[in-house]
Amino acid sequence: MADISQTRLPKSPFRGPTTSVWQVRVLRMRELAANILSNPTTVLGLAIIGMLLGMAIFAPFIAEPNIPDAYQMPRDWGAVRKPPGTPGHILGTTNEGGDVFYGVVWGSRTSLQLSLIVVSATVIIGTIVGSIAGFLGGWVDEVLMRIVDVFLSIPELIFALAIAAMLGPSFSNIIIALSMVIWVKYARIMRAQIIQVKQNEYIDAARVIGDSKINIYFRDILPNSFTPVMVQATLDMGNVVLIGATLSFIGLSEAGIAEWGVLVSEGQAGIASGRWWASTFPGLMIFLWALAFNLVGDGLRDALDPRTEGR
Amino acid sequence: MFDENQPSLAANSANAIARVDDLKVYFNSKRGIVHSVDGVSFDIRDGETLGLVGETGCGKSVTGRSFLQLLPMPPGIQAGGSITFYPQGICEECGGKGCASCTGTGRTSVDCEACSGTGCDACGNNGAQQIDLLKLGSEKMRRIRGDRIAMIFQDPGKALNPSLTIREQVGEVFLQHRSEELLGAAGIATDAGGWQANILRRKASQMERGIEGLLLALPPLRSQRNKLELALDDMVADALTETQIANPRKLMGRYPHELSGGMRQRVMIAQALACNPDLLIADEPTTALDVTVQARILELISELKERHKTSVLYISHDLSLVRRICDRVAVMYAGRIAEIGTTEQIFNDPRHPYTRGLLAAVPTAASKRGELAAIKGSVPELVDPKPSCRFTGRCLFETEACGTFDPALQNVAPNHAVSCFIHHPPPEGARPSFDTKTS
Repeated sequence: MADISQTRLPKSPFRGPTTSVWQVRVLRMRELAANILSNPTTVLGLAIIGMLLGMAIFAPFIAEPNIPDAYQMPRDWGAVRKPPGTPGHILGTTNEGGDVFYGVVWGSRTSLQLSLIVVSATVIIGTIVGSIAGFLGGWVDEVLMRIVDVFLSIPELIFALAIAAMLGPSFSNIIIALSMVIWVKYARIMRAQIIQVKQNEYIDAARVIGDSKINIYFRDILPNSFTPVMVQATLDMGNVVLIGATLSFIGLSEAGIAEWGVLVSEGQAGIASGRWWASTFPGLMIFLWALAFNLVGDGLRDALDPRTEGR
Repeated sequence: MFDENQPSLAANSANAIARVDDLKVYFNSKRGIVHSVDGVSFDIRDGETLGLVGETGCGKSVTGRSFLQLLPMPPGIQAGGSITFYPQGICEECGGKGCASCTGTGRTSVDCEACSGTGCDACGNNGAQQIDLLKLGSEKMRRIRGDRIAMIFQDPGKALNPSLTIREQVGEVFLQHRSEELLGAAGIATDAGGWQANILRRKASQMERGIEGLLLALPPLRSQRNKLELALDDMVADALTETQIANPRKLMGRYPHELSGGMRQRVMIAQALACNPDLLIADEPTTALDVTVQARILELISELKERHKTSVLYISHDLSLVRRICDRVAVMYAGRIAEIGTTEQIFNDPRHPYTRGLLAAVPTAASKRGELAAIKGSVPELVDPKPSCRFTGRCLFETEACGTFDPALQNVAPNHAVSCFIHHPPPEGARPSFDTKTS
């Protein structure tokens, strides 16, 4: 027994390059991608999103930008209430001579702006607030969550409407209003996740090896609690446009902006007299947008949630 | 008898690596204060494996977790007592092989910082450094965790982070506690100046934040960072090799869910023993494993313990297992120590009625088929207990004194202490009657 201390262990058998962390991560991402792509409805959603994104990115080439402000609908007062198929106005024109095709194409840009800004702002704010509440707990948690409760007690749409109306009709105010309303959802999700992840034994194990609190948060807690936030963010990319269009429809963004909700509202007066096109095409775009992100969001949830695996 | 002796504490503290003294941990609950651990005292001697056995809820895990301040303190209350830890160093005379000056263990006590070994009030006059683990600040505690005291958990599947690779998780220990060695192994001067060296130093102790990570991935620092990563790879591979894992280099890139239970537990052990700790707290490390794997993990723990000269606090409810690997055993019941002694004494000469009941309840190949022996009754509620022996109501040898007084832990033989009035008289005023109750 005495010479056991003198036994030298052989050095690791081979010193070849180890699979690096990044290689492993790339592999995992590929696995995840394959998992997501195996679901046909998700692929459909991704295809629609790709189409809409392409439309937003290449908008200046698809419909010549209006001078001086491309986000304003061009007005052709010589061609009012033209049906689809009119030369120069493929999808027809509105009561005020706005080109529906232009509105549809440039509306995808406004929608993308709206959803990206609102979702990234709310995810960041919500994650920070939810993390502080969940990680620190105690009275900090109590105070933050009561504030969140106040926000949650008013229905999303009505609250956003109230804020937007208070700030005055403008598209940027819609962005502000939606951001102020939606962040609480992420704060809630994040807090619940963190409290759940904190119970795991590997958090204790990380403490046992002497990890600092901030390291435990960034390496052990955050990566393991972020998935539901990601799924919710994807779903919200669609929902935000839906609510934004609703607010625009009521007239809370400036008139004449190339935005689907505004266009629908501009065309709705004509529906009764048979001029269906001005509302239908932008309405269809809103529908496609919301549908696509919901399909992808659902697919993402299924792919990321191990419980639904192998269905 | 030995009734005047202090219960089973080591004669000199140089021999003990940690000493738990009258530890009391309570928990607030809706029905009152639960006395989970209520006055537990024992010591862990240098190089030994001390088994802490008892049934579920007797406070053995709470005791183990108290060593590292792992209990959530809003519901939990540190009601009293202390856990003194005596950090050890490798003996300089023999380099850890064992010699006369280190009494054969290869380790010596680390000198007290206040008096540098000459003896003072701070170290209790013996010159050895001692740390009260319960009163340690969080930063000091963090430095002890994983470095001087490590812990293995029951379920290795839950104790590893599912989103990090094995390399990252084992490497974390080195980054937290061995950044100097890591820098040295990577050939980076630890005392170099300049912002680049600063970032590398921060990287080596896992302190890099935000943009620094980006800078490390860019050319001037990239090659240095790669050296650091390779050095860390080597350290992690060596730690994994120690646990006899097949093909450690390949395993390092894997995630916990890709490993079997036995392999995960080996990874946990590699992580725990990476920094060569003085004390390993093993909280039922084999309960979640099947029996064949269990045997191999146990072998591994005892082998590594011998090689690293680590003392082990082995928490378990499995008596046969404890008998196999422990030098001494403490039997806990309802937040108290019922009996403590060498494995031999506990298993061959059990004195406490509870220990006897436990041992009688272990089925062996020789025991008759049919009903298993059991201790009648059930574990008492630990909410606001009255002063009495915790085993009253279930004990076959109950006396009048048992219901009104707490029996203290007192020696019945060298190294063997029991808390029971059968073995030492109850305090004055009580009328002892040692009549054995029937049934």
